[in-house]
Amino acid sequence: MALLELQDVTSGYGYGPDILNGISLSVESGRAYCIIGPNGAGKSTLLKTVAGLLRPRRGQILLDGEPIGGRRPDLVLDSGICYVPQDRSLFPEMSVRENLVMGAFLEPDRGVVSERMGRVFEMFPVLKDRVNQRAGTMSGGEQQMLALGRALMIEPRLLMIDEPSLGLAPQVAEQIFDIIRKLRELEMTLLLVEQNVLKGLACTNWAFLLDLGELRLEAASDEILDDPRIRELYLGRQRAGSQPGAGIGDDT
Amino acid sequence: MSHLIQVIILGLLLGGVYALMASGLTLMFGVMRIVNLAHGAFIIAACYVAFFLFRDLGWDPFVSLAVTMPLFFLLGMGVYRALFPRIEGSPRFGEMTVLLTFALALIVEGLLSYVFTGTFRSTDPSYATDAVRIGDFFIPTAQFYSSITSVVLLVALWAFLYFTRTGYAVRATMQNRTAAQIVGVNVRRVSTLSFGIGMALAGASGSLISFLFPFFPARHWQWIAILLALIVLGGLGSLKGAVVGALLLAVAAGVVSDRFGPTWSPMTFFGALFLILLIRPQGLFGHKARVG
Amino acid sequence: MTQVEKKESAGAGPVLPTPGKPRSRVRYAVPAIVTLFLALLPLARPLIGQPYNYVLQLGIAGLMWVAMASSWNLIGGFTGYISLGHNVFFGIGGYTAGMLLIYVGLSPFVTAPLAGLVAVAFGFLVGLVTLRTRGPSFIISTIALLLMTGLVFDNWDLVGGSNGLSLPLPPFPVESVKIPFYYAMLIIAIGSVYLGYRVAHSKFGLALRAIAQDETKAEVAGIDTRRIKIAAFSLSAFFVGAAGAIWGYSLSYLRPTIFFIIGVAAQMVLMVIIGGRGTVAGPAVGAVLLVTLNEVAVSQFGSSELNIVVTGVILLVVLLFFPLGVVGTLRDRGHLPGFLDWD
Repeated sequence: MALLELQDVTSGYGYGPDILNGISLSVESGRAYCIIGPNGAGKSTLLKTVAGLLRPRRGQILLDGEPIGGRRPDLVLDSGICYVPQDRSLFPEMSVRENLVMGAFLEPDRGVVSERMGRVFEMFPVLKDRVNQRAGTMSGGEQQMLALGRALMIEPRLLMIDEPSLGLAPQVAEQIFDIIRKLRELEMTLLLVEQNVLKGLACTNWAFLLDLGELRLEAASDEILDDPRIRELYLGRQRAGSQPGAGIGDDT
Repeated sequence: MSHLIQVIILGLLLGGVYALMASGLTLMFGVMRIVNLAHGAFIIAACYVAFFLFRDLGWDPFVSLAVTMPLFFLLGMGVYRALFPRIEGSPRFGEMTVLLTFALALIVEGLLSYVFTGTFRSTDPSYATDAVRIGDFFIPTAQFYSSITSVVLLVALWAFLYFTRTGYAVRATMQNRTAAQIVGVNVRRVSTLSFGIGMALAGASGSLISFLFPFFPARHWQWIAILLALIVLGGLGSLKGAVVGALLLAVAAGVVSDRFGPTWSPMTFFGALFLILLIRPQGLFGHKARVG
Repeated sequence: MTQVEKKESAGAGPVLPTPGKPRSRVRYAVPAIVTLFLALLPLARPLIGQPYNYVLQLGIAGLMWVAMASSWNLIGGFTGYISLGHNVFFGIGGYTAGMLLIYVGLSPFVTAPLAGLVAVAFGFLVGLVTLRTRGPSFIISTIALLLMTGLVFDNWDLVGGSNGLSLPLPPFPVESVKIPFYYAMLIIAIGSVYLGYRVAHSKFGLALRAIAQDETKAEVAGIDTRRIKIAAFSLSAFFVGAAGAIWGYSLSYLRPTIFFIIGVAAQMVLMVIIGGRGTVAGPAVGAVLLVTLNEVAVSQFGSSELNIVVTGVILLVVLLFFPLGVVGTLRDRGHLPGFLDWD
C-alpha cells in the first residue's frame, strides 16, 4: 500500500479559484519524488494541502489508508508528515538551538531530542557553529539548512520540501542538494518541489509532472526528460537564446 | 531638579501599571493579530468587580486579584471561542477584529452603564493616600504597591513565555504562525489561551487601578486610546516595546501633567503616537512587515 | 445571463461592480422619485398637520446621517481603512461655521461648504501622517485624533471649552425655521451620495478597491497608494464637515460632547456596515434603517444606556452573520432590486 495517496483532490486559496483540479497520485515509502511543472501548476499548493495548511475542497488524502484531508497542520505533523515551506518559516527571534528544539515540539522525551539534535549537527556542521545565533540573522543557505534540520528533529515518515534551492547561490544550493541526496540514500520518503528541474531530478528517483492542477506525467527521474511530452511542454516555452537544459520550466 | 526627579519617580511607578495594561493587548495582537478595542472596557469592568468586593465584602483590591484574574481568564477564553474562530480565515481579518472588538466595547460599556450608572467610583483602601518618604522624595504607597505587583505579574508572564513549553509555543506563534503550525503547535489552543491570559492581565490591571484613578463606564475610551498609542510607539506585537513605551510615556505624561496640568496628560500619549507615525511608523521595536 | 461573481463572504469586503447587468431606466426612476418626494415634503404642511416639525426634524437627522455614512464609506468602505473617529470632521465643520457666524456674522448656510473644506484640509494634514501606515495603526490613530481634538476643544476658551458656545438664532420665523435646515441637509445628503456614486464609477474608485483588496499588490501594480489614500480620506471629510456646520446651527449650540464623542463615530460605522460597506446605496440604506430603528426604540423604550448595548449587539450580529450588509447580502444572493444597485 502506498504511504500517501491523493484521490481526486481539489483545493485552492481562500475563496479563489481551484488550483489543484482533481489530482490523484500515490507516494511509496522509501522513495524520493520530485514534483516539476510550470508556475501556477499547483506544486506548492499540493504540499500545503497535504500539510494541512489548506483544506481540500474535494477528494481524499490518505496516509497509510487513513484519511487525513482537512486535518490541522499540527495533527498532520503528529502523523509523521513534515513540511518545509518555501520561505523556510523559521522563528526569526529564536536561536538555532531553539528552532531545532521547537522542531521536536511534539517529542516528549528530552533525551531523544538531544540525541536527534546531535545527529542534525553532524549532518549540518554549520548549524553547530551557529547554535546560539538568531535565525533571522542567518544567510539564506544557513536558514535552509536550519529548516531542513528542524524538519529532521521528528524523524518524519514523509518529508516534503518546497523549493529548497530558492534564492540560494549555486554553490550553496549544491550543498542542499547533497543533503537531499544523502536523505535519499537513507531511504527517507521525500516529496520535493524544485524549480531547478535538472538538479531536482538528479537527487530523486521518481518524478511527477504537474500542470494546471493535474498530474500530467509520472516517470522515473532519469527517464522523464527523454519523454517527448516534456519537450513539447517545456522547450516550446523556452525563450530564444537560453541554454538548452538549464532551468527548463523556469519561466518565472 | 529634585522636583523633576520626583515627577520621574511617579511616572516610572505608573509606567509599571501601564505596562501591565498594555501587555495583555500586545499579547493578543502578537499571537493572533487581534486589535482588541474592548481591552479598556474589560479593565473598567474589572475595576467594578474590585469595587464591589471592596465595598460589600471589605476585600482589599490586591486580594480581589484572586477573583479578577481567574474570572477574566475564563471570560477571555469564552469570548475568544465565541467570536474569533469563525472569522479566522477571512481575508479582512484585521478589520474584522477591530470592528468586532469595537462592538464588544460598546456592549460592555452599555451594560456597565446600565447596571452601575455613570457615577465616578474608586476603591478606597487605607493606603490609597499614604506615602513613604525616602530622602527628599515621596513614594505614594498606592502607586508603589501596584507598581510592584505589576512588575511581579510581568515577570511571571516573562517566565511563562521563556521557561515553559507552552510559553515557547506562544512565542513561536507570535513570531511565525505558519511555522508554529508545522512544528506541531495547536495554534487554535494557543490563541485561546493567549486571549485568556491577555484578559487575565486586563482583570489584574482593573483591580490595581481601581484605587489609582476614578472610573466610570465611558472612561474606557481614554484608556484604550492611551494603551493603543503606547503599543504603537513600542511596536505592535512587541512585549518589550510595550514595557518600554509604557515607562517612557508615563514619565513624559507625568512631566506634562506637572507643567501644564493633569488634563493635558493624555495628550502626551496622542502626541507621541502621531510623532512615531511620522518618523518611525513601525514603532521602536516593531518590524516593518508588522505594520498592517 | 451573465454570472455575478462570487464575493468574499466571510468579511465585509468591498463589492465590485456587477458585470453585465443592464442599466435600465427603472433603477434611476426610484431614486429620482424618492428625491422628488423628499424635496416636496416640506411643502406638504397641510397634509402632515401637527407632527410637521417632528417630521422635518427626523428628516434633517436622517439626511445628515445619510450624508455622513456615505462619506465614511469612501475611506472605510471603498478603501477598507476603518476610521473610528470620523466625527472629528463633524466637529471641525460645526465649530468652523459656528465661529464664522459669531465673529464674522456669516450664516452657516453660506459657510457650510467652507466648513467642509476646512475639514478636508484638516483631513489632508492628518492623513499625511497617519496614512503612512496600514490597518491597525491607522485605526488607532483615528481614535486618538478624535479624543485629542475633543480634549483640545474641551479646554479651549476661544470655543467655549466644555461649556460650549451659544449661537445666534437663525433669522427665520419659528414655525418654519426647520425648512431651510431640511433643504440644506437634503443638498448635502444628495451631494454625499452622488460623490460616492461618482467615485465608485471612476478610476479613482477602482484604485481604492484595489487597495482594499490587497495593498501590496496595488503598489506593485504602480498605484501611488499613499496619495490615493490621502485623497480618499480628505474627500471623505467634506460632507461630514458641511453636515456639522448645519447641524450645529440647527441646535443653536456648540459643545464638544455633541460632536466629539465616540458614539457618533459608532453610529456612522454601524450604519455603513448594516447597509453594506463598499456599496453606493448601502450607507444610505443603513442610515435610514438605523434612524428609523432609533426612533421606534426611543419612543417605545425611552432613551437609556441600553441603546449602546443594542448598537453593539446589532453590530456584532451583522459582522458575524451578514458582513456584507443589506445591500451586499442581497446582491450576493442575486436578489438586489435594481433601484438599489448603484454600483
